[in-house]
Formats: sequence, C-alpha cells, structure tokens
Amino acid sequence: MNATSYATEYDSIVAAMQGYIEGSRQGKSELMRSAFHPGASFIGYAGGELRQGTQFLFDWIDGNGPAPDIRPRFASVDILDSIAVVRLEVEGWSGKLAGSGVRMSDVFTLLKTENGWKIVQKAFHWHA
Amino acid sequence: MAPGSHSVARNRPQQPLESWKQIAAYLDCSERTVRRWEAREGLPVHRREHHKQDKVFAYPHELDSWRRRRTRTPSTPSPAPEPQIHGYLLEHAAITATMHCYIAGARAGDSSLMRPAFHPAATISGYCQGVEYIGSIQLVFDWIDGNGFAPDLEPRFARIEIIESIALVHLEMHGWSGRNAGANAHYTDVFTLLKIDGEWKITHKLFHSHVT
Repeated sequence: MNATSYATEYDSIVAAMQGYIEGSRQGKSELMRSAFHPGASFIGYAGGELRQGTQFLFDWIDGNGPAPDIRPRFASVDILDSIAVVRLEVEGWSGKLAGSGVRMSDVFTLLKTENGWKIVQKAFHWHA
Repeated sequence: MAPGSHSVARNRPQQPLESWKQIAAYLDCSERTVRRWEAREGLPVHRREHHKQDKVFAYPHELDSWRRRRTRTPSTPSPAPEPQIHGYLLEHAAITATMHCYIAGARAGDSSLMRPAFHPAATISGYCQGVEYIGSIQLVFDWIDGNGFAPDLEPRFARIEIIESIALVHLEMHGWSGRNAGANAHYTDVFTLLKIDGEWKITHKLFHSHVT
C-alpha cells in the first residue's frame, strides 16, 4: 500500500469512526448504528460481567445518556488491504451508567465493504 | 442429580494419566512442553518407584488446579523490579500458547485442535474469493476441516498488543495449502482475544485473503 492510498483509506476509516464517537458523546445509539456492519459482534467485561452483542452496546449508549467530555484519541490505525484495526483510547466518559472520569480502551476491527468501512467487532477494556 | 452424589463424585478416585503422551494430550500441548513445565514450573507429575525408565503419572484434578494457578499468578516468586514488563511477558506467553492451538489446527486441517482456543461465541469477518464471511466461528472450523492438511504453513506474529483484559494478534500466514486454500495462499489474520477466567480466548477472527 503506497503512502497516498494509506492516507485515503485512513481518512475513510476515521470518518467511519465519527459515527461511533458522536453517538457516544450524545448518548444516542441511532447515530452510531450505520458505522457497524449488520453482522457485527461485541464482547467485553462491563461492571465485572461478560457482555455480548451489539444490542447491548446500543442499549448501554442510550441508557448512559450524553457524555460531553469524552476525549477520544486514535492510538493506532492499521490498514491491511480489506481489513483494518483501530485502537481508540477514550478518556472522560461520564453518564448514568459510566459514572464520571472513566477511561476505556476500545479495539475495533473493520472490513472494507461495498458500502465503505464498517465496524465488524468492538472489544473494550473498562479501566477501573 | 441425586442428593449427595456431588460429594460422592468428588471422593471417587480419578483415573490417572499414565504417560507423558497422555498428560500432553490432556493439557493440549506437546510432550516437550509438559516436560519443561515439570522441570521449571512445578507441573504436578508423579513417578512410580523402582522403575529404571521414566514412568510418570498425573491426576487430572491436580493438573487442572495447576493450570488455574498458572494463568492467574506469576509462576516463580522472583524479584520483579519492573512489574509492568514482567506482567506483559506472562500474558504474551499465555496468548502465544492460545494462538499455537489455532496454528496446530490449521496445519493439521483439524478444527478440534483449534476449538479450545476460541470463546464459544466467537465470530469471523472477512472476504474470501469475493464471498463475505461474517458470522459464527463455525464457518472457520468447517473451512479448516474441509481444507485438510497444510504442512507448509508458515505463521509469523506481526504484532501482539495487550491492553489489560483484551489483546490483539496480527498473524501473517504464508504457504497455506489445501482443498480450500489452493497451492500457496497468503492470509493476513487479526485476532481479538479476551482474558476470561484467567484464560485467553479468541473472540473474533478478521482475515484478508491475498489473491495472486
């Protein structure tokens, strides 16, 4: 992959991720749904319990409400032809379910589909 | 279950494993590895007295306890001036062991060898020859069994990234042959793993098939 095509794909991926970030910030899952592939999966420990399924994520986002102070950082964006891996470090989570001042490390895997880059899996670690 | 039968099951003497081969099969690894574990990490192996040869036996319940302790605590109480690096190396070893189950299954064309490496709800995503594969990890197991033996498979760990309870492994696979792979296929695999009950399990496989 040459430098130009990496930059183009990088920009597409970051744009695709904005739906997730904005949905998190506003506490509205409807803003992030289109960033996910319909068959996407989700797994991780929340509140000490193993949680699975994107519906759990969407319900959590809606239940948590706005998180206006989140500061997302793209820690890594690896692009390997039709697949990509994004590590997002997010500080400053707040809300009814998150609490306040919470940091999460998110790992997304994305697939380049005919409809653009779509998240096919999200894994996360909630830092205690 | 009848009342009292649980305590009866616990007190019933277990059938021991009677050779390095049986012990290795029970722990899902090589004989060389279990011998090393006995020598360096206190794997509970017993020996029969008055035998000139190396006649070993082990109890499954003792091996289970050792395995649980091993994945939760450092194996030796050595001084650790940099605990973060020490912790990374322990997790790196455990993750690599899980990934070798996957590689062994791929090489043998036998999904039963790789199944223990995966969480039961694991999923797969990727395109293979223009077909989108998104769904249950059973798709991988069926492909592996259908593909058969891949003796020339060359795996390379491009990255192992560990973030507390989650991990990412980027594995480059060259020389993959078989009924489904073809003659000399190259795959880029990215695995997400989760540490569940002290064990690293693959929760997702994302792949890119390099078409020549």
